[in-house]
Amino acid sequence: MDFKSLLNNKYILLDGAMGTMLQEAGLEAGGIPELLNLTDPELIESIHKKYIAAGSNIVYANTFGANRYKLKGNSVEEVISAGVSIAKKACGGKALTALDIGPIGQLLEPTGTLTFEEAYSIFKEQIIAGKNADIIVFETMTDLYELKAAVLAARENSHKPILCTMTFEENMRTFTGCSISSMALTLNGLGVDAMGINCSLGPKQLAPVCEELMKWTNVPVILKPNAGLPDPVTNKYDVLPEDFAEQMKTAALYGVSIFGGCCGTTPEYISKLKSVLEKTDIKREKITIPAAVCSSSNTVIINQPRIIGERINPTGKKLFKEALRKHDIGYILNQAIEQTHAGADILDVNVGLPEIDEKEMMVSAVKAIQGITDAPLQIDSTIPEVLEAALRIYNGKPIVNSVNGEEKSLETVLPLVKKYGASVVGLTLDQNGIPPKAEDRFKIAEKILSRALEYGIPKEDVYIDCLTLTASAEQEAVMETLKALKRVKDELGLKTVLGVSNISFGLPNRAMINQNFLTMAMAYGLDLPIINPNIDAMTGAVRTFKLLTNIDKNSTEFIAAYNDAVPQKPVTEKKSGTVSLSYAIENGLKEDSAAATAQMLKNHAPMEIINDILIPALDKAGANFEKGTIFLPQLILTAGAAQSAFAVIREKMTSENAEPVSKGKIVLATVKGDIHDIGKNIVKVLLENYGYTVIDLGKDVPCESVVKAAIEHKVKLVGLSALMTTTLKSMEETILLLRQNNVDCKVVVGGAVLTQEYADQIGADFYAKDAMETVNIAKQIVG
Amino acid sequence: MQKIKLEKLNRNEALRYMGHRGEVSTALEALMEKCEAELLEHISPAFIYKVFDIEESDEGVTVCGTTLTLRGNDIREHLSGCSSAVLLCATISPAVDSFIRKKEITDMSSAFAADALASAAIEQVCTMADEIIKSQLPDKFFTWRFSPGYGDFPLDTQRDFLNVMNAQKRIGLCLEESNILTPRKSVTAVAGISDHQVERKKRGCASCNMASKCNFRKRGEHCGF
Repeated sequence: MDFKSLLNNKYILLDGAMGTMLQEAGLEAGGIPELLNLTDPELIESIHKKYIAAGSNIVYANTFGANRYKLKGNSVEEVISAGVSIAKKACGGKALTALDIGPIGQLLEPTGTLTFEEAYSIFKEQIIAGKNADIIVFETMTDLYELKAAVLAARENSHKPILCTMTFEENMRTFTGCSISSMALTLNGLGVDAMGINCSLGPKQLAPVCEELMKWTNVPVILKPNAGLPDPVTNKYDVLPEDFAEQMKTAALYGVSIFGGCCGTTPEYISKLKSVLEKTDIKREKITIPAAVCSSSNTVIINQPRIIGERINPTGKKLFKEALRKHDIGYILNQAIEQTHAGADILDVNVGLPEIDEKEMMVSAVKAIQGITDAPLQIDSTIPEVLEAALRIYNGKPIVNSVNGEEKSLETVLPLVKKYGASVVGLTLDQNGIPPKAEDRFKIAEKILSRALEYGIPKEDVYIDCLTLTASAEQEAVMETLKALKRVKDELGLKTVLGVSNISFGLPNRAMINQNFLTMAMAYGLDLPIINPNIDAMTGAVRTFKLLTNIDKNSTEFIAAYNDAVPQKPVTEKKSGTVSLSYAIENGLKEDSAAATAQMLKNHAPMEIINDILIPALDKAGANFEKGTIFLPQLILTAGAAQSAFAVIREKMTSENAEPVSKGKIVLATVKGDIHDIGKNIVKVLLENYGYTVIDLGKDVPCESVVKAAIEHKVKLVGLSALMTTTLKSMEETILLLRQNNVDCKVVVGGAVLTQEYADQIGADFYAKDAMETVNIAKQIVG
Repeated sequence: MQKIKLEKLNRNEALRYMGHRGEVSTALEALMEKCEAELLEHISPAFIYKVFDIEESDEGVTVCGTTLTLRGNDIREHLSGCSSAVLLCATISPAVDSFIRKKEITDMSSAFAADALASAAIEQVCTMADEIIKSQLPDKFFTWRFSPGYGDFPLDTQRDFLNVMNAQKRIGLCLEESNILTPRKSVTAVAGISDHQVERKKRGCASCNMASKCNFRKRGEHCGF
């Protein structure tokens, strides 16, 4: 018997709760139940046997929390292999044993500090330890990212069937915000053998969740709900076995075919469930899964034009290139936020620059971008290793940009697309370049599709780019592109993608050409325009198209974009744009400050504005803060206004090839173990305003990274922040390591729990009681 | 479990966390208002509680039927005279963390305000949870909430605390190796339950282990604990 043959049955019955049975047997709440595999194997075996007697076809070994984080020093190998042997013994060939793996117990970065790679390694250890099990089950997952690490670990370290269930609330989301469609699209792509829902609520509340899941997958669906909710005083669950079994019928009618029970259920629930399922019809029809991509919380269905934002790309952008060289992730994140605010549905991410480590940069950028936006990403690189590194750590189902008709490209890129379950952009060019005629581009599209299908990539995941040529150079080619696009759409039934702006290169009034070409392309069937969404004419063309083609029903989206969503201006005492720069800064008016700076730059030199207005305004605010006439909120508002003025100046100077002068570099970090970094970030803004270059290492920074950065950048000052008494130790260790390596720098420390006394004790050179004091210390040390 | 929904946030409390005093300027007022509205869209409160019998022991207080011991003199004193206690876990969701992270990129002053407002929000959730718990046990008397980290009640209690409450499964509450709760704006707390009115030491600086380092105290203020 194996899992595949079980699938021929009308339904598969899993087991009920292990924890509930153990607590009935006297296990204290909070204990580590997996240790019973070593201390009381008979008890565990007897529970498995009860479930098998009740009809379970698969039992979950007692290994749910047996990971190196939760086992606190006990051997994962020993606990898991014992758990699997006990279950196998109980099964005796009558049922299958599942290696049961739950969440690690720590949140992954960026909310927590556990990295994707560490999560993978924790799961890998469990999977290897459970090598004797028949199948692998991941259950009670709430974070799609953690689940992806788990599934990859299983795929790469075993050949067993993989079953995944996540825990959803009544709002159809997990605690981390993962949606049903995102789970399904991602797991479909990763090739799991069954997926579904467990824990959290009773069968009645979870039936609608199953109904939704059915719209997104063709793999068998699992439901393993709780026996309702526990009473906080008596700890009894509120759904009885008969009711539980009856309520499960609804899910069966939707087509769920794998059933079991989670918290609060016992063998009685399982046997009642069996008798109900015997009498219930279970039918499942194959569905067509919509063409879609997703992040963990947002699914974008490609059933209408969707904007791919093109701005995260250094080509032709001085500031962007500079940011990449400085590893300034903040710059890239700003580009991401700006584009999604402007209306981008998907963001293209290209960080290729010859002199940097593109793979490392791509991974850092994708991790950071997916931490602050829910727009799905399009991974854009010409290097397969870069694509793979990003596909691994992407949280959701991304698009790969791109493959082309050349054999070498097809055989390196398509296997990656298949393995990680992405969509892919196919460019209609090959070793001979871009064919001038529509029919030849169509032929390449056909070839790309057939090769993708051979690799097992579904048709709906192939998007074709018929390539825009420049109208000024190849005017006759413009319509060829559109003709090819239409044929790909109509005859192959594929989604289409097109970079638009190239059309107008070398011509005047580019914006007008771009906008009109975009509208023409959409009329020919373009689904995914790659554009600069910050240009309103482009985003507006897409919105207008949707309105006129009756996609945007009742013009809702259009009206929301142009009537209601007028950006709210901050409350100002004078009219925006008419205030002086010093007034804007003093009153913390960000927009006014930028506007006034742009105005002044028309007839003042940048350095004049910095020295005569910005620095005196900042000094004044700093002095008032120290005197106690203004408080931290105003100081930060002022700093924010100054920051926006500096941004305008920096842009101007860079465009004139005059690099802004830095007063020197300072390394800032929130120490290892600590994730509170808002204080450090406030300090950063102030230091940057005063002209220092801040090397921001972020939060939870290992001691070694601080030392490495201090040496590499030859800084005179390192700033360390900690907010917890428990992480002060890391601060001390970081200082010690700096001293041991004879790094010639001073160390300033700050954070809520620090005192001068403690700073002295751990060997810091300075204690800064607030952000302003750090600036004063920087002036003294760096100059 | 009853649901909690926050309609508005305690802005004055947030301003106090931010170190503000005196009159609120129009720019600051506008900032707080905007952040409050945006933050409310990301907050989804979740809480669980469970009542346990307790027993005093040499180490502190044993929570019966669990592996959890509440260690320290302060918690023992806090629960003295109580035969049972309620354990509470509450959070306002990881979406708040992500929202603050995004603000830190685009606008530090909004991030600072949102962080303080989120701190005020989790306090509000705890207070509302208190009311729900009290209404479920109408004949009982309660002490105030005491959290790991207060006085000599060790922070490393968190791990057992969360395990006993099954907090990860039930409300998605996790713990860092450094005993920081994630999502960031989350609380664990214990309140004593008694059949009679119980006299308790007042909340205040005397029972706070931050007293010597506290920024509020340095300014001659009080945090409200």
